[in-house]
Amino acid sequence: MAYSEKVIEHFEHSRNVGTLDKEDPNVGTGLVGAPACGDVMRLQLKIGDDGVIQDAKFKTFGCGSAIASSSLVTEWVKGKSIDDAVKITNKEIAQELSLPPVKIHCSVLAEDAIKAAIKDFQDKRAKRGQAPAVTTQPVTTTP
Amino acid sequence: MTHFEIFGLPASVDLDVKALEQSSRTKLLEVHPDRLANADAATRRKAAELAASLNEAVKVLRDPIRRAFYLLKLKGVDLESEQAAAKLALPMDFLEEIMERREALEAVKASRELARAQAMEADVRSVQGRVLAQGLAALRADDVSAASSALGRVRYYTRFLEEVDAFTEELSS
Repeated sequence: MAYSEKVIEHFEHSRNVGTLDKEDPNVGTGLVGAPACGDVMRLQLKIGDDGVIQDAKFKTFGCGSAIASSSLVTEWVKGKSIDDAVKITNKEIAQELSLPPVKIHCSVLAEDAIKAAIKDFQDKRAKRGQAPAVTTQPVTTTP
Repeated sequence: MTHFEIFGLPASVDLDVKALEQSSRTKLLEVHPDRLANADAATRRKAAELAASLNEAVKVLRDPIRRAFYLLKLKGVDLESEQAAAKLALPMDFLEEIMERREALEAVKASRELARAQAMEADVRSVQGRVLAQGLAALRADDVSAASSALGRVRYYTRFLEEVDAFTEELSS
């Protein structure tokens, strides 16, 4: 089956491949797997104290559609608030990349990765006893 | 009819592979085209279909991993289907382990270090063997949830080993 042009574009020129420091309190890490094929995807978001996503990096071991889906979402989430980012659906991703039905699960994986990364960030905050992002309070950000 | 029933063998993790091979030989002979040279077209077509399903069944049952996945499917969990697989939640530290292994393999591939790739392969094979054994024990105990979790992990190791295979092939070609 032929990949769509957008998938090939994201596959060949993947955006934002890499890692962020997962110990950074402002970084949320989402790690998800696709048990049917045995592939894994990691998405990391750097989130400001105002709840806006400043940076996003991904690393995906999987097929072209999985790589394209994660590359695309790193572009989409940057500059979005976590409240908006969490609303991104797999349908939008699949539509943008013209994924065929057998590759829909790749877009589901990317959606799950966003949610997992945001949840990780929020859990970190909760553990540190900090108020959730958005409610502004004087916090010194470590670069 | 299940793959086991085709051969009249009990559906079990501990399948008697010799009995399987014997039964498949006998049955394949029965439907061999040479024996049906004078039969009508419909009979020959039916025989060819049966031969195809016999061959498929043998392929699945002979391989311990495929047999385990098939047994789990008979118990209602088809890990090869997206829906069933998606419901399987594996622990985060397992996914981290897989991510680390895949990243290490990627680095080794980039530097084309065959010996290190082979060492990783041996390591993953032994880990996979242990996890598979847990899955088989769970299947014997009819513990579908434990079997799903173990076999779900087995799939990630298989994927890793496929990557190593592709790499060694690429190096030798």
